[in-house]
Amino acid sequence: MTPQKNATPGEGNMPSSGPIDGARPGTSRRDFLKIAGGVGLAAGVVAVAPTTAWASKGFQVRRPSATQVQLRMAINAGSPNAGQKALAASFEAETGAKVVYEAYEAVDWNGFFAKVLTQLAAGVPLDCAYVATEGMQLFSHSGLSMPLDSFVMRDKAELKPYFADIHPLLTECEMYQGSLMMLPTEFNAGDLYYDTTLFEKAGIPRPPDDWTEADFINIVKHWANVQDVGWDWVVRLWGSWSSWMYANGSNLLTEGKYGGGDWLWSTFYPGQPARSGGWHWGEPTANAPGTVEALQLMIDLKQQGISPSPDAGGGGTLQGLFASNHIATTIGGGFWAGGLYEAGMKPNAYDVMYFPKWKVQKHLIGVGGFTVLEKSKNHDLAWEWIKHSTTADAISTVYGPRAPDKGNTSTPARRSVLSAAGYAPTGPKHWDVFYGTLDNYPNTTPIPAPFYYEALATAFLARTTQGFSSGNAQSALNGLQADLEKLYKA
Amino acid sequence: MPEGRAPGSGPWDIGFGEEARAMVEMATVSRPVSPNGEHRPRTAGTRTAQRRSSLHAGESKMGVLMVIPTVAGIVVFTAGPIVASFALSLFRWNVINNPKFIGLSNYRSLVHDSVVLKAFFTTAIMAVSIVGLQLTLGLVLAIAVERRRGAQLRKLYRAAFFFPLMTSAASISIVMGYIFDDHFGVVNYYLTLLHLPAVPWLGSTAGSVVTVVLVVVWQQLGFTFILFVAALGNVPQELIEASAVDGASSRQRFRKITLPMISPTVLFAAIVGLINSLQIFDQPYIMTQGGPGNATNTVVMTLYEAGFEDLKFGYASAISVFLFVAVLILTAAQFRISRRWVYYSSAEGA
Repeated sequence: MTPQKNATPGEGNMPSSGPIDGARPGTSRRDFLKIAGGVGLAAGVVAVAPTTAWASKGFQVRRPSATQVQLRMAINAGSPNAGQKALAASFEAETGAKVVYEAYEAVDWNGFFAKVLTQLAAGVPLDCAYVATEGMQLFSHSGLSMPLDSFVMRDKAELKPYFADIHPLLTECEMYQGSLMMLPTEFNAGDLYYDTTLFEKAGIPRPPDDWTEADFINIVKHWANVQDVGWDWVVRLWGSWSSWMYANGSNLLTEGKYGGGDWLWSTFYPGQPARSGGWHWGEPTANAPGTVEALQLMIDLKQQGISPSPDAGGGGTLQGLFASNHIATTIGGGFWAGGLYEAGMKPNAYDVMYFPKWKVQKHLIGVGGFTVLEKSKNHDLAWEWIKHSTTADAISTVYGPRAPDKGNTSTPARRSVLSAAGYAPTGPKHWDVFYGTLDNYPNTTPIPAPFYYEALATAFLARTTQGFSSGNAQSALNGLQADLEKLYKA
Repeated sequence: MPEGRAPGSGPWDIGFGEEARAMVEMATVSRPVSPNGEHRPRTAGTRTAQRRSSLHAGESKMGVLMVIPTVAGIVVFTAGPIVASFALSLFRWNVINNPKFIGLSNYRSLVHDSVVLKAFFTTAIMAVSIVGLQLTLGLVLAIAVERRRGAQLRKLYRAAFFFPLMTSAASISIVMGYIFDDHFGVVNYYLTLLHLPAVPWLGSTAGSVVTVVLVVVWQQLGFTFILFVAALGNVPQELIEASAVDGASSRQRFRKITLPMISPTVLFAAIVGLINSLQIFDQPYIMTQGGPGNATNTVVMTLYEAGFEDLKFGYASAISVFLFVAVLILTAAQFRISRRWVYYSSAEGA
């Protein structure tokens, strides 16, 4: 192409169009620096512009000053969600402190705890950590968590409305050797979810609350002859074949209770039967007949084609399969409601019911809350955070219907936060089953998570999959018994 | 070695040897002394030599400066952790409390730990299978691709076989987990369509080991493939042609010429493949979590579980030391055995 007079630079094969042209060299280093500087300046302006725009709309950008106290808290997530950010913002506005979330993403709780512990070992100054039942005794036994007793008694007047709104079982789950280690903010009971579309298609009505294991088997056998799966679950301590173990009146470890805790029960739950100082997990009973029978039932269902080999991990795959109408029933807690809705399931496309009775109708449960870490230099401020995170507003914003991005990501620990209106957008229709598990089944028990939970979870996973591979529950659980005995004695 | 050359002046003696000579020269030339001990006046020649010497000295300093980041990186990120692991393996440490010196207790526990010993056995089985398949398939594919006529087609094949290597092992493992899922997987879906029985790819002991090996081989095959493509390209064509003229069959040409000529590449691929395979972690951790039972539990997985799940960092370090020594011994053995079958042409050294 012949160069054109007065052509715009860059158009056609103009002398300045590239370094190939010999008449003028390409961009010199000086020119390059000029251009780079200009682009950098422009990028800076663009980056600042939204901040300025937000500021003009009344939002303030808070930057920590040199003297501002930082409160660092570990959470089990890739990043804090909108509810957690809102909670932090309101706490910052209230106290002037800066909340820093240390988000550690993990497939399950044991991965999260491992990350928190290694961060603590590396000297990361964490003040609080979000801990579920899985890690409560691990953190308490090792001295990482600080008992809240003195704080609770100091602020008892302020806390009475909170405890009045919390089922005592949830509080008892957060006790260790007579001390209160956390204030519950959420819980998940192992109830049973079912796909209403598949049930309707099969002409199966919703079972009654007191349904049995035999009813369950009859229902799920229906799907053995069609493409859909009758029953599926995830290998982990909460909500797997462990739910059947509980329903069969058995456990991995001997259930016991610690003494103590009267100070709490008499102060906050007067007039109610006194509870214990927390669960004590004793000698392993992993190869007890009831436990073996529970695992063998799951293996048999798999061998009959009613259930697939269960996956390990956090349950994302299971949730996806359920949301896409491939699974008729599975175990789930309140956290499934928000998850299924987020996965595209209509509020009336699924529902929840109590777990069936086998020998007993007994549910397992997990409870979560923030713990104050013993090594924190901001114990008082951390306690203020814990109180702040347990208000009804805070719990509703993080776990309940008021969450800014997606609601009902867990079961709020405060009874008052659960409501028909709150569950209307996401379902399930029988949302009252969640708190009803606590109210109607006093034998509801936390998952067996002693202080050696991490190793227990590893052994549980390996022995469960071994049972499915060999088809022999007794042999696999004899192995688990040996593993747990070693851990118990260590 | 040619006669008359000073010891140490071989082909390796091109860097520091010259620097050293320059420094000696600088030392002797910078202070010229007369036979009677007096300093001689400096001439133009000595000034030039001085300039050259100071230039060499500057280069030497610059060379040291340029090496420092690499050496520092090795010390901090490789040698340091290795030494720290050795030290930590003598302690009991759960991260929460202070470490306690326990001598060789971790090693004594390790040799009696059936889970760890089984993991070593599983890892060995996997490593041998992976290396064997990678070398065989990599070579077969390289030969097949290089025999294709179209240059564009050859490029396409090279890219296609190399592509999985550039993808994250974690992503591949997640996808493969879905593909080989016993119940919902695509593979079993098509087997069922063909009226074949579904295979418990990840649900049985043997199936899970085979599946993990296949996934690793599929992902890493591109590495050996590209190495062999390059090696085959360097085989002198005149040798092949001459042997063909002499009546050698294609099989004889491959066995007697091609294979010996690419044997150094085979050795390299085998060593790198073995070292990588002995450290296999991502695929079994994501696809099977070591199951069913401990069927796919590898050494690095037991190390990770001991350290980051059971919080036994001393014990985990002992496992890592054990693995390190095993890798060292196997690599040394490979080098020793290679003397019998690896052929180096004169240009490549003895």
